[in-house]
Amino acid sequence: MSDPITDKETKVKMSDHHQSELLKIVGGVAKNPLGLIGLIIVGVFVFCALFAVWIVPHDPVGMNIKDRLQGPSTTYFLGTDQLGRDTFSRLIMGSQVALKVALPAVFGAMFIGLTLGMIAGYGPRWLDNFLSLVFDTIRSFPTVMFALAVVALVGPSLQTIIFVVMATSIPIYGRVARTQTLALRNSEFILAERSMGASLFRILGIHMMPNIIGVLSVLAAMDIPTVIALEAGLSFLGLGVKPPTPSWGSLLKDGYALIRQTPWLIVAGGLPIIIATLGFTFLGETLRDVVDPRLRKTR
Amino acid sequence: MTAPLLQIDGVTIDYNTKKGNLHALRDISFDVNKGEIVGIVGESGCGKSTLISTILQLLPQNAEWKKGAINFKGKNLITSSEKEMRDMRGKDISVIFQDPMQSLNPVITIGRQMVDIQHRSTSPYAEKWQKAIEMLSMVGIADAETRLKQHPFEFSGGMLQRIAIAMALMSMPDLLIADEPTTALDATLEVEIIKRLKDLHKEMGCSILFISHHLGVIAELCQRVVVMYAGSVVEFGTVDEIFFNPKHPYTRRLIECDPGHIKERAKRLPTIPGEIPDLTEALEGCIFQERCSESIAKCKTATPPLVSLGQNHQAACWLNHNQEPE
Amino acid sequence: MITYTIRRLALAALILFVAVTAMFLMIRAVPGDPVKIMLGPRATPELQASLTAALGLDQPIWKQLMIFYSKMMQGDLGVDVFSGRSVTHIVMQQLPYTLELIFASIIWSALLGVIFGAYAAANPNTLWDRMIAFISVSFIAAPAFVIALLSLLVFAVQLRWFPAIGVGEGFWSRVHHVALPAFAIGLSWVGYIARLVRASMLEVLGEHHIRTARAFGLSERRIIMVYALRIAILPVITVIGVGMGFLLSAAVFAEIVFARPGLGKLVIDSITTRNYPVVMGAVLVSTGLFVLSTAISDIVNAWLDPRSRQSL
Repeated sequence: MSDPITDKETKVKMSDHHQSELLKIVGGVAKNPLGLIGLIIVGVFVFCALFAVWIVPHDPVGMNIKDRLQGPSTTYFLGTDQLGRDTFSRLIMGSQVALKVALPAVFGAMFIGLTLGMIAGYGPRWLDNFLSLVFDTIRSFPTVMFALAVVALVGPSLQTIIFVVMATSIPIYGRVARTQTLALRNSEFILAERSMGASLFRILGIHMMPNIIGVLSVLAAMDIPTVIALEAGLSFLGLGVKPPTPSWGSLLKDGYALIRQTPWLIVAGGLPIIIATLGFTFLGETLRDVVDPRLRKTR
Repeated sequence: MTAPLLQIDGVTIDYNTKKGNLHALRDISFDVNKGEIVGIVGESGCGKSTLISTILQLLPQNAEWKKGAINFKGKNLITSSEKEMRDMRGKDISVIFQDPMQSLNPVITIGRQMVDIQHRSTSPYAEKWQKAIEMLSMVGIADAETRLKQHPFEFSGGMLQRIAIAMALMSMPDLLIADEPTTALDATLEVEIIKRLKDLHKEMGCSILFISHHLGVIAELCQRVVVMYAGSVVEFGTVDEIFFNPKHPYTRRLIECDPGHIKERAKRLPTIPGEIPDLTEALEGCIFQERCSESIAKCKTATPPLVSLGQNHQAACWLNHNQEPE
Repeated sequence: MITYTIRRLALAALILFVAVTAMFLMIRAVPGDPVKIMLGPRATPELQASLTAALGLDQPIWKQLMIFYSKMMQGDLGVDVFSGRSVTHIVMQQLPYTLELIFASIIWSALLGVIFGAYAAANPNTLWDRMIAFISVSFIAAPAFVIALLSLLVFAVQLRWFPAIGVGEGFWSRVHHVALPAFAIGLSWVGYIARLVRASMLEVLGEHHIRTARAFGLSERRIIMVYALRIAILPVITVIGVGMGFLLSAAVFAEIVFARPGLGKLVIDSITTRNYPVVMGAVLVSTGLFVLSTAISDIVNAWLDPRSRQSL
């Protein structure tokens, strides 16, 4: 008698099912006008980040003193900074830094948060209490203060930022994963699985996770802009990525110092942050509208 | 003969929904006399809630008045202004709702709420508070003083419903509308509440419009009964007439199916087969025709009017037209 | 109510305790000699020795922890590496400026947010409602410090309507100085609170007890402002309590951008000068503030909504 769960055919069908679910969700998002705008913005952002090196019109890092502090022109779309570097090129390059920080941080946090949350929700009471206390403690630090404290101790660098951002985000995913796990733990289909003798790993990995991932993805979409802003903020304070790496935050830093000479640096630093945040927020909101009723249907 | 207190005349209400116009109430006509208890019987979806909302003029935005009038003490409620209606709500007309656990504001104390509904009176706060204590005692809630400072979640369903009755009767209304007040309560509580209502009615002499699907209670409490089905009045008469001489197949089936009425043990309880028709579709003929075991050919094509079959008995069924008194 | 308050404050104390311990362990976990880190390049062997003794670093870890706790309970957060002044004193001097900024931000954004949200809920699906919804989503999107920089650029530097620097003296001057930073911090909040209030109000307005209130002839105004708003506002109170963390973070940036004194500026300056006791002291105080504010908002919530008193 073949076990329907380990049966290869069923497995293949299930992954097909997951794939078409994904397409349906993306389709649902694209139908919504705000969601579409979000998808486009995020798409442009990712494109810039991936292909920055090839699409920048000028070298974002090389100094070019004779052209310093120029206003916008046909050569330099947004002018140049105090070292003659093309602001527009630095803007595009900045997207790469933003993504480099945001992706590992968010996905790392999501993965760790998910695991810990599921353990907290599914495991013994004492473990749950302990993990919840850990989550609450991390959350009790105001984010930037915590980041500053860590940077003060360890020194600024890309890795530090990624670590800090990840650490502050883990409790968010952890708590939600925990709540979902607790709710699902007593639901009928999990009880059915357990009565069929399914192992812990299978229950957590194959049955609970898909349900929780949906909610977490929405959180992630809303979290990415926060992460981008945090990285930019730290770079603005001079505690983020080291120069000459262009980050939107360092553009703002230079812009702030030169605020009376040229407004364009601040615009170049601030505008992409706002647009990226809008894009991810629209995307996240629409994603939630699409994912939520579907989740409700499966209950 | 004095004019009735409440006269509902040909009221027709539609709801504009995505699926089309839902004909919620069609040509509803009946009246309530002073000091009288009139019951409305009908299953879910018969339009009872819409009727109450229409009387109070608290219909949702997508409701559309098509025709008809509701005369209350000589005034047409449908054409009254919002201000005039607000003056009457809670004063001349009071309501007791079906779900005592949900009908009161959860974060405000009972006492505060009972004082708030006396908002028209210019008496000082202390007097209003005192009145609330009196009303609570009247409905049999002990230790009223302390109770007033508590919140709804600290009371049981039965007590909340008694509080609701106290609140409704506080202003000595002319008309009390009771929307299935005992449906959410268990049987013993139901008996208690009904008894209390009867006593209060004797004391206060208000008219009561009592809505229920529990035939036993209707028989016990009411003097006249309106039978509603899917937005229409199908029969209307005194309690005796309705229960002992029903003139509409639906009424007959209702009585037959009432568990309190069944004399013999049976494996299956009788039901009326079928479902309420879709009210968004155009309706031809008798509304009950599809589920009626006694229908004739005419029932499919022509809507039977509500005709008088003697003093205080009206029914809408073609079968009666052979026996109609001239 | 009293029991709830006590229990909630006890929970806050526990969290703070754990946070402080975590902070302590974090400092100790940094590789290298903390004394060397603290003193930086000016470390002479004598200075190192005296600081080591003063910090009790030659003692076993658990003893250090005990000393740390007892000092904290007495309000002693250590001394400034350079001036020797008490860290507690330094931090407490700067705290009022930050609090001024935070409260100014909360007041204007909560007020506006509640008004917008209540209006939108009372008139759903009208043009105003949709506009408020769109504005809300957009506002939420902008990070506070970017708005701070942009508003500095536009309103202070280019248009010169507001001062770009400092705190001001005298009531109106202070208001004038706090206006732009408070605006920047509060902007995303207006949208957030408006949406929350709208959703909350719509949910409440659909509930049966509102129907009862209407059936008793209560005026629409009273129904919305007293009966509905009182319930609808509860999530906002929770949000503000939890939002203190965000507000503190945003205040850090606003203080730098607008060159205002306060905890934020203190921390940044101390980081650059490697004045670790001050950094830690400021971070601890702001954490304490945050924990306290969440506790207070939970308590206020319980006071307004008796149902939630059971949940601890």
